[in-house]
Amino acid sequence: MELEELQSAWTQMSDELNHQKKLTNQIILDMTKQKYQNKFTTITKYETIGAVVCFAIAFFVLLNFGKLDTWYLQICGVLTLSFLIVLPVMVLTTLKKIKNIDILNGSYKENLKFYLKIKNRLLRLQQVGIAVGFVGLLFIVPVTSKIISNKNVFLTSLKTEQYVVFTITLIVMVFFCRWAYKGYVKVTQSAQELIQELE
Amino acid sequence: MRKEGVFTELIQEHQALLYKVTSIYTENKEDQEDLFQEIVYQLWKYFDSFRNDSKITTWMYRVAMNTSITFIKKKKRRPDSVPIADAFLKQSDTNDDAYDERLRLLYQHLKHLNTLEKGLIFLLLEGKSYKEIAQITGLNDSNVGTKISRIKKKLKTNMAK
Repeated sequence: MELEELQSAWTQMSDELNHQKKLTNQIILDMTKQKYQNKFTTITKYETIGAVVCFAIAFFVLLNFGKLDTWYLQICGVLTLSFLIVLPVMVLTTLKKIKNIDILNGSYKENLKFYLKIKNRLLRLQQVGIAVGFVGLLFIVPVTSKIISNKNVFLTSLKTEQYVVFTITLIVMVFFCRWAYKGYVKVTQSAQELIQELE
Repeated sequence: MRKEGVFTELIQEHQALLYKVTSIYTENKEDQEDLFQEIVYQLWKYFDSFRNDSKITTWMYRVAMNTSITFIKKKKRRPDSVPIADAFLKQSDTNDDAYDERLRLLYQHLKHLNTLEKGLIFLLLEGKSYKEIAQITGLNDSNVGTKISRIKKKLKTNMAK
């Protein structure tokens, strides 16, 4: 094959392709939308799983609420339920706002700015969530202890192994929160970089 | 007309251009679909920033080629691409064996070129002048000339083998 033949094969292919108009408007728009939505897929997945777990635990506590037989355990139960329901609902609402961003209306830059605003709100929400999570142990532990093993931790003195389990849980929580929060910061940063790219 | 309509019309009109860029830089249908989708997305993303100080096709070539170079650097599969293979990704609708063979040979020769060489020869095959190639690639005119003569020599050597 000579260079001229290369050129002529290319030209022939170009002519044929110019007659093929097989992409529909819908396919083009789907490609654009899907690429945009893919950017939020991972974070949406983890947040949804987290929310489902919280709701499942809240449902379990609600089903066994009758076992909380003193006024202070009932207060702990209400606080636990609020913590397990309110925070995920706020996160899911924020996510819904992100998902409802219509890339085809308004400029990409405006959409991303809006996204960043919501994402920052979500980040603050996570900071609050982490802080409340640690304080929350003070009311979640008595509730779960009463429901699962029918023990009122306010009345029984803890054994050494229970202190160990509690300490290990705290350490695991610290690492988990650090890991999860870093993930949020990374995503927020990535969105910010996208905006900067457009400027 | 709304932005959406203008954009889809633009892609419809120049889909052959996008197809050809993706065919140069990929070696299988899956990668080609992914790259095609990525280019459409990048064109949409930067559509607002297009200014009429250059031809729309010059801008499209530039975005498509930059996206392709980034794509092959990353070289990883992207999830959930829209299946466009059946709708578009066909080199030929004819049953001309000789033509198909020429196309196969064409791509076989192009495969031996590096990323920059592929881009330059692609633009040359598209009938672009050295000046236009320089505008698209950001190289200067004389540099384009030098590089293209080297590529031609390389292709000739490969073809002679």
